[in-house]
Amino acid sequence: MFEVFAAVAIVFAALMVLSRNPVRSVLSLVVAFFALAGCYVLLFSPFIAVIQVIVYAGAILVLFLFVLMLLNVGPERPEKTGRPIQTLLSGIAIVLFAGFLLSTLRHSGSAAPRALAGEPNVLGRPEALARELFSGYLLHFEAVSILLLSALVGAFVLARRDREPRG
Amino acid sequence: MIGTIPLSEVLIVSGALFCIGLCGALLRRNAIQIFLSIELMMNSANLAILGYGASLGTREGQIVVFFVIAIAAAEAAVGLAIFVALFRHTETIDVNRINLLKW
Repeated sequence: MFEVFAAVAIVFAALMVLSRNPVRSVLSLVVAFFALAGCYVLLFSPFIAVIQVIVYAGAILVLFLFVLMLLNVGPERPEKTGRPIQTLLSGIAIVLFAGFLLSTLRHSGSAAPRALAGEPNVLGRPEALARELFSGYLLHFEAVSILLLSALVGAFVLARRDREPRG
Repeated sequence: MIGTIPLSEVLIVSGALFCIGLCGALLRRNAIQIFLSIELMMNSANLAILGYGASLGTREGQIVVFFVIAIAAAEAAVGLAIFVALFRHTETIDVNRINLLKW
C-alpha cells in the first residue's frame, strides 16, 4: 500500500516538474499531495494527513491557482539559454547529488533495518497529539500564530496597489 | 500491512521527491513553478520526519511537521504576494527576465 501511494506521489511530482503549463503543474502537485497524505496515514499520522489535505492541497495550492489565474501566466516557451556548458554541468550536478543522497539514505536505512514500530491508534491519536502540543509546545504554537499574523499583514502590504505613484 | 514499512523505503521515497523538486527548481523558469518545486521539497522533508518519528515511536515528528505546515502556509502567502507585486512592476514572472538585482 505504501509503495502504491509513494509511486503515485513520485509520478505526479515528476509530471509537475516536467509540464510547461503552470496550471497543469499545480493540479498534478495536488494529486501528489493527496498521495503523500496517504503515505502519512500509513506512517501513523492521520491528523497530519488531514492537515496535509486541508491546508496544503486545499488552501495553499488553491492560493497558487488563484495567483496563476490572476496573473494570467501562459505556458513557458522553450528557449535556448545560450549556455550549453552550464546546462550540462547542472545536469551532471543533479545526477551526482541524487546518486549520493539516495545511496546515503539507503545505507543509513540498512544500517538500522527496522520496521516502523509503535501501535497506530496510540501514536496517531489526535487528542494525545493535542495534549502534547498544548502542554510542551505552547510557546511555539503562540509564536507560530504571531508569525501567521505578520505574514498576513506582510502579504497585504506587499500585494497592495500603490494609490499614488512615488518618485 | 501497517507496521511493516521499512524506514529505508520511506527515506528513499523522500530523497527521490527531494531530487525531483530540486530538478524542478533548476529547470523551470516560471517563478511560480519554482515555488511549487520548493513546496515539494519541503513535503519530502516532512515525509522523512514522519518516517523517523513513527520509527522511533514518538509524536515529536508529527508536532514538527505540524509547525512546518503552518510556516509553509505563511511562506506561501508572502511569496505569492511578492510575485504579484513583481508582476505589477515587470509584467512577467519569468526568472530570466527579472534581472533588476543582478548587477
